[in-house]
Amino acid sequence: MSANENPLTSHVLDTGIGRPAVGVLVTLSKYENDQWRNISKQLTNSDGRVGNTISSEEFSSSIYKLTFETLSYYESRGEKTFYPYIEVIFEIESPEEHYHVPILLSAYGFSTYRGS
Amino acid sequence: MSTRRERSTTAAPPPPPPTMAGNSDNPLSAHVLDTTIGRPVPGILITLSKEENGKWRKITEQVTNKDGRVARLISQAEFTPSSYKLNFNTKSYFESLGQKTFYPYIDVVFQVEKPEEHYHVPILLNAYGYSTYRGS
Repeated sequence: MSANENPLTSHVLDTGIGRPAVGVLVTLSKYENDQWRNISKQLTNSDGRVGNTISSEEFSSSIYKLTFETLSYYESRGEKTFYPYIEVIFEIESPEEHYHVPILLSAYGFSTYRGS
Repeated sequence: MSTRRERSTTAAPPPPPPTMAGNSDNPLSAHVLDTTIGRPVPGILITLSKEENGKWRKITEQVTNKDGRVARLISQAEFTPSSYKLNFNTKSYFESLGQKTFYPYIDVVFQVEKPEEHYHVPILLNAYGYSTYRGS
């Protein structure tokens, strides 16, 4: 088994309510040959998390994008939001490491950071 | 620091007529602050695009000033309810400092429902994290 199984995970926390954001569609794309190729799509679970977004074999040094369908999340709650969706584009230089790319989400603001 | 400017496709908006109310033809502004050092970030190239017919149309490019700000990104007349995208070329800033960063660039896609209001879209920036919010 590879040492870096499940190398990229994500998490969406709704800081407006202090709870994980459940059921947010998260798409992982990889930048290859001047275009984005979809790798996986998953819904955040009851903890607001997605794991197993990419295999360690496919997780090479490259530029990736996570797209979070946050508008649908807020619409399902009957709320408005500033963001039709959120994209985080990041560069992987050390694919042997684990990367965690969470979003702290509210209807009119968000933050993200490189976690491990 | 990039000084490239877009020319022919981004003509300056006409000056507002004297009786124009509301946003004084500056409905959208942006700002970049580096919270690691507690300073604004000058020289960041910011590109504004508007979604039309399912595609992004570039409206303007501007470089943040010494206060880390850009303004007058779009005229009031063009600022209609729509989705917009601000692209921040943040990597060049960190490269100029000899630093690495996690983000090749930052895109913020947002929707404008009340174009009579002023919208301010700042980035609080670090090499390995950022935040943004709808300001006014």
